[in-house]
Amino acid sequence: MLQNVGFIGIFLGILGRFWPVWLALVVLLTLSFVFRRRLGLYGHLISSGVGLAGVIIVGFWLFTALFAGVVAPFGPLEQIVVMKHALPGSIEPATGIPFYLGGDKLARDVFSRMIYGSRIVLAIAPAATAISLMVGSLLGLPAGYFGGRIDALLSFVANLVLAFPVILLFYLLVTPGIMDTPVPYAMAGFFFIFPILFLCALFYTGYSKQKAKLITLLGLTLIIGGYIYMGLVFDRDPLNIIHIEPNELNIFVAVAFASSPGVFRIVRGLTLDIKTREYINAALTRGEHPWYIMLWEILPNARGPLIVDTCLRIGYTTILLGTLGFFGLGMSSESPDWGTAIKDGSQFLRLYAWPALVPAIALMSFVLGLNLLADSLREQSLRD
Amino acid sequence: MSEPILEISNLHISFFTKIGEIPAVMDFSMKVMPGECMGLVGESGCGKSTVALAIMRDLPGIGRITKGSIKFRGRDMAELSPAELRDIRGSKIAMVYQEPMASLNPTMRIAQQLMEVPLIHEKVSQAEARTRALDMVKAVKLPDPERIMNAYPHQLSGGQQQRIVIAMALLSKPALLLLDEPTTALDVTVEAGIVDLVKDLGKRFGTSMIFVSHNLGLIRETCDRITVMYSGEAVERGNIADVFATMRHPYTQGLFRSIALPGTDKNLRPLTAIPGQLPLPHERPSGCNFGPRCAYFEKGRCDARDVPMFEVAGNTRHESRCLRIAEIDWDLPPKRRDTQIAVVVGEPVLEIDHLQKHYHVAANEIFGKGERRTVKANEDISFTARAAETVAIVGESGCGKSTLAKVLLGLETATGGRVMLAGQEIEKTGVEKRDTATVASIQMVFQNPFDTLNPSHTVGSQIMRTLEKFGIGKSIAERRERMFELLDLVKLPRAFEKRMPRQLSGGQKQRIGVARAFAGHPRVVIADEPMSALDVSVQAAVTELLMDIQRNSRTTMVFISHDLSIVRYLSDRVVVMYLGYIVEQGSTDQIFEPPYHPYTEALLSAIPIADPSYTKRRVVLEGDIPSATNPPPGCPFQTRCPRKSQVPGDLCETQLPPLRDMAADHQIRCHLAQEVLDTMGPVIVATTAEKA
Repeated sequence: MLQNVGFIGIFLGILGRFWPVWLALVVLLTLSFVFRRRLGLYGHLISSGVGLAGVIIVGFWLFTALFAGVVAPFGPLEQIVVMKHALPGSIEPATGIPFYLGGDKLARDVFSRMIYGSRIVLAIAPAATAISLMVGSLLGLPAGYFGGRIDALLSFVANLVLAFPVILLFYLLVTPGIMDTPVPYAMAGFFFIFPILFLCALFYTGYSKQKAKLITLLGLTLIIGGYIYMGLVFDRDPLNIIHIEPNELNIFVAVAFASSPGVFRIVRGLTLDIKTREYINAALTRGEHPWYIMLWEILPNARGPLIVDTCLRIGYTTILLGTLGFFGLGMSSESPDWGTAIKDGSQFLRLYAWPALVPAIALMSFVLGLNLLADSLREQSLRD
Repeated sequence: MSEPILEISNLHISFFTKIGEIPAVMDFSMKVMPGECMGLVGESGCGKSTVALAIMRDLPGIGRITKGSIKFRGRDMAELSPAELRDIRGSKIAMVYQEPMASLNPTMRIAQQLMEVPLIHEKVSQAEARTRALDMVKAVKLPDPERIMNAYPHQLSGGQQQRIVIAMALLSKPALLLLDEPTTALDVTVEAGIVDLVKDLGKRFGTSMIFVSHNLGLIRETCDRITVMYSGEAVERGNIADVFATMRHPYTQGLFRSIALPGTDKNLRPLTAIPGQLPLPHERPSGCNFGPRCAYFEKGRCDARDVPMFEVAGNTRHESRCLRIAEIDWDLPPKRRDTQIAVVVGEPVLEIDHLQKHYHVAANEIFGKGERRTVKANEDISFTARAAETVAIVGESGCGKSTLAKVLLGLETATGGRVMLAGQEIEKTGVEKRDTATVASIQMVFQNPFDTLNPSHTVGSQIMRTLEKFGIGKSIAERRERMFELLDLVKLPRAFEKRMPRQLSGGQKQRIGVARAFAGHPRVVIADEPMSALDVSVQAAVTELLMDIQRNSRTTMVFISHDLSIVRYLSDRVVVMYLGYIVEQGSTDQIFEPPYHPYTEALLSAIPIADPSYTKRRVVLEGDIPSATNPPPGCPFQTRCPRKSQVPGDLCETQLPPLRDMAADHQIRCHLAQEVLDTMGPVIVATTAEKA
């Protein structure tokens, strides 16, 4: 029989493990409150209860992912045979550190796996959302602005993607047969080109009369963007810093593909509204290029709803990652990400609830934090 | 003397926000007698709508009555239970709001909505309710009442909707009717119809009314008494005739002098703007709120303590919130700006010859088959604008004046005809194909100040971008210098460079819009009602600024407006448009003197005039403006023309009248015989011969 630290021991122990997170949160919130008058929207956000709760929860997971190595007492794959299906709070005999939230069927520490799992979620969800944001904007702006055939075509494609069952799509994308073909890489190549295109178009239209600034910015974009692009899509980073596992790249592409049409529709709708404003006519009467109007006159004024949507979308993406993990798609079977962990734990759910419950609660709280943040952002942006 | 319907005494209303208590209305008193119509006039933010909401006990959550009482038929409304209040609201007190579409439920037929009122308040039978509703629809003079009853709100025009809202308000036979800017969203000729209706119904049903508006002229023509509000206080109150004849508050007088009236003239009798701006509600000065903007301000006295209302000697029930009533010489003419020498117009700059613009609306975009409909926005527009000249284009919504502006600016290309800008043909070249010089030489000042600047960029960067686009200045430093000069030109401090548009008031934004339009030394500036969305006291200053810049740069101005008073004040030539046609054009004097086109006649008659020394002949038009997709055959104006019977046969229905030359440069498109045109009397007549 293993020794157990008891309920209070678990509670205090976990609180203690998170010390770097608490410290970082205190620093962040203190700085935010001191400078909140100068922080604009973010300053208003932390002045409201809901917004503050959102910031704290999201910040908590952000710092957890950042300091995972310090917070987690064990490695994510470390197996200690005696701890198989251990109760929460059981002390591991060799080190004397308890398995705060018990052990799973392969005798790994559930708490540590949950902590490491946050790294995977927080790496993929925001980055994939950012990519889909750029894809959606770059396609949604001309669809809304020009209308007509371009709009009809792009909207049709977006509807097609939205109508396709997402899970089936993922099954297709991550089956070994398809993974061996160049399809995933071609799709990655397609999606990752958008950020580079986006920045190039932005700088080109904005600074066409200021040659020196334009050349510097374009050069930087092409060099840095091209370097990352090489590493991610062709895996040919000359310095071997940028590298992504093929199955992770697949997940990334799949998620970006699934959420781009949503962003597209929002941006298109906002563009339709904003293009009727008089400052757009003012820009037209001074002979501005359509892409300047889209990127510099329309997009900045669409930012309010877009920020809110991005917050919610990171949440959806997190759930989507969980779903993918649960179906065993993409991630390797021992990956500590929350979806895979829930699936692992679900086999013995009636006997040992904790291996599945802990990552489920983690996932829920992170999405809840994002939703609170989005709610409060919406409220604040309506007030302006 | 009978008991007042509504008595408000020493009302104080505050809004409680994050930054603390903000007083919205202070020490407000008002008495409305049975059958009386009280006008409540003031600029935005003066608290007039707050008073109206307080009477309805419908203040927003953060607003509270802190002091004073509102008595309805002698009963303090604060003591009424929610059930009693519900009973009063909608049956004893009814309200008509500014936006008719927002007051009607879009999912219910008109009949249902109207019948609800007697069904709920008087519990009558369905059949009885329907009869009453139908009678009321007839009473508000809607054509074809049975059809209207079965229509949904969106099937009616704005004017018809507002008539329904008024009908709904009157169905419960209220003792008091509140009208909050009921005609602001409507066209002038439609407005004239509604105003007539309200006056007529008020007499017929003996309803007391409170008419909230920012338009002094409208109040003068509709109401018996007036309360002028400024920054949360009533500053002057009295009978219409007394107040307009003997104004006893500097603000009322300033307001009156800053609006374009028939006697004003841009060269000889320029408008006098009230200096400064409305104080923000939490930054009101001590003592008299109007103090900092008042010419008669006396330090140590006017700003010492709150000023109470004083009786004006010689008049009954006339009060003013001014300490110096007895000391000020009220008849002293204002210190006007120096009179200006009329500019000499130069060579033709903009020549428009038989311009035509049709839009094709396809039913289906992808497959492009479907039925194609044509919107004839402009048909046969010809006029010439010369250097330093101001040409006004007058017309109501749907007349095609905005389309004309778009074609001139190159946002649309013409279907037919010719537009010459300084000898260069531009009607077929869209703005993207025009060279920089052409783009810079025809610019626009937009209508809505809140929409004219991009809210995401600083004021300075927006002007700099315009300069960059027009190729002015070789370096950023040079452009910045030029941007500062432009800010000086529109009389704004240079520190505004770093401001965001939301930190600016409406008038300031409009000044930036003017600076932007004049950035590239334009030959032609198109101004689309640039003052209409501004507060009255600010309008005059922006108008004068625009005129000054135009005068000094000898720019041609095309001034688009529906307001004939301002047109008379600032334009040299006037073009009157109706449904895509020019129905009359000529010099300003020719337009304002007979002979008139019947539409011009109606338009002139529709303008409310705030000056009691002028009277008008009433010409009220029936119906609404037809749609440009389905224009009537023959004369475009024949569906509403009050003089159609004076033309023999069916000429008006079948044939488009030709443009007839009346005098040099004066043309009218009408079938009326010369003798009929010659017998027309003037619409606006000065009652007192002498007017300084």
